[in-house]
Amino acid sequence: MSENLSPTAERRAPRVVVIGLASCFGCQINITNIERHLMDVLGQIDLGYWQLTSSVPMPDEFDVAVIEGAVTTEEAAETVRRARERAGSVIAIGSCAVTGGIPGMASGDLAGHVEAVYGDAAPDACGDLLAPRPVSDVIDVDAEVRCCPIDPFEFVRVLDGVLYGSNRLPATSALCGECSRNEKGCFYKQGVMCLGLVTRAGCGAKCPALGRPCNGCAGLSPDSNVEAARYVVGKRGLEVARFNDALEMFNAVAINAAQGEE
Amino acid sequence: MLYRVIDETEAPALVAAFMERYEVVAPVKRGDKYVFSAVDSFDEIALDYPTTIASPKKYLLPAKETLFEFDAENNEVTDYTDEVRPRVLFGVHACDINGLQNLSSVFNDPRYPDPYYAAHAAATLIVGVACMPSANCFCNLMDAEEARAAYDLFLTNIGGRYLVSIGSVVAANVLEAACDVREATDEDRIAFRAATRARQEAFNRDIPDIQEIPMLMDAFHEDEFWEELGGRCLSCNACANVCPTCYCFDIRDTLDPGAATGRRERVWDACTSPQFAMVAGGHNFRPTPASRVRHRMYHKLNGFLAKHDRNLCVGCGRCVSACKVDISPIEVLKFFDRKGA
Repeated sequence: MSENLSPTAERRAPRVVVIGLASCFGCQINITNIERHLMDVLGQIDLGYWQLTSSVPMPDEFDVAVIEGAVTTEEAAETVRRARERAGSVIAIGSCAVTGGIPGMASGDLAGHVEAVYGDAAPDACGDLLAPRPVSDVIDVDAEVRCCPIDPFEFVRVLDGVLYGSNRLPATSALCGECSRNEKGCFYKQGVMCLGLVTRAGCGAKCPALGRPCNGCAGLSPDSNVEAARYVVGKRGLEVARFNDALEMFNAVAINAAQGEE
Repeated sequence: MLYRVIDETEAPALVAAFMERYEVVAPVKRGDKYVFSAVDSFDEIALDYPTTIASPKKYLLPAKETLFEFDAENNEVTDYTDEVRPRVLFGVHACDINGLQNLSSVFNDPRYPDPYYAAHAAATLIVGVACMPSANCFCNLMDAEEARAAYDLFLTNIGGRYLVSIGSVVAANVLEAACDVREATDEDRIAFRAATRARQEAFNRDIPDIQEIPMLMDAFHEDEFWEELGGRCLSCNACANVCPTCYCFDIRDTLDPGAATGRRERVWDACTSPQFAMVAGGHNFRPTPASRVRHRMYHKLNGFLAKHDRNLCVGCGRCVSACKVDISPIEVLKFFDRKGA
């Protein structure tokens, strides 16, 4: 938003809409998981549209558009372009919206995937299919909430940042550092592959702390050193090809784009 | 300095006496590694630990600490008192005691005293324990193999008994009340000397002993070595997170859900972090991993010394284990060795 609101301002509550595109809707559902604080969060906004909870149609005017899901059709692309025109701020939430996520895995070979699933041609109900892409490939995005699913408290922090301003800079470091803070040891020392080497920090390395290697859902760090990570993987006796495959789950769009430039 | 001797079997009584008035934090085993953690009994403590994943720095400079709370609706700072827990760090190695002393040089600088650090430090007793070096230890090369100050007690096992160096009255009183304390004899002192020599001889001789490291850092500032080292950096900051002497931080405000109230927080930052040197307008004056890695090594092996007359690096070796791509001060020493220094 061009002008940040003061929490004290006697003015109308910011109008927020929540738009769901190609996704499992899990991130939207996760927002409802902050039960204890949900009324506080909703109390500061005018929630004009949330398909998940209400069949009231999308209003013509709003201040903040929250978008979940990847753009996979021409209709969806038009929806986000319209949202961009109307909203002061756009927040992309979840891996699908931020990196292309799981739908993005089809981005390299859309025709092949359509054929495998539908045979000759996709039914009309699918709409006018596009290679799946993150919201930021279609419009400018002001803020993002990463991961699959999102941490709802992170969503609240990002929403507050958009509404009132923030002095917090999104991290671009790789995840291993957050893991070292948790002091639970490294999967590579047990011969287990983990994508924390190149995945963007910010989640607190929750999965590794709970005994599960990072699957890269926050997306590649813009400062990731994938070559050095491949060297680590190889040095630990693991297959680099497996590492490359694993990276595709949440980064296929970025990897395809990088290969296209080469 | 006072020296006394207690039997090894009295260590549990000493810990129990501390527990009456303090939270006791000590090295405990976690998986095949060790970490500093609060303990409930002496049996949990692994006093012969080689090192811990991260340093005891976290008890004086927490990774995330609230500085104050505020009322966003009335734009007011509200009363907030950080929880400062009286604590004993039990079983700290000499390198880490030297590391904490370096942190104190920074945060207790009389010109810019840091009340948050000072409050933790004032409530913390440090009981050191002598150790035998592991393969990645090079405290001997950083002049940090002995703790000469900044501890309350320091225990050296001299065969069935501890020679206890006493650094504070508070700790001496606990020691004397809990243990059967006796004067050190000539025999004890001879055993102490033997223990010290055994430690000195156990250091990994493959880590090169380089003279005049600060001078060499300046001499080779433009060497392509830094590109080679930084070129494999993963930009993860694991080195800084496990380091006993990295003390950089960021400050940020976090609103509570509903945005009526919030907190100003101090969180660890690191010069290896890509945005660390980004300034208003977006310019980043250390934009590459090579420039960041080099900067970190300079502060550890050159810059801090110029100001505080001590190496910032204490040779604990934690970053050697934490770094997946073998970036550490040891690689810098090996580079100087290859240069014939």
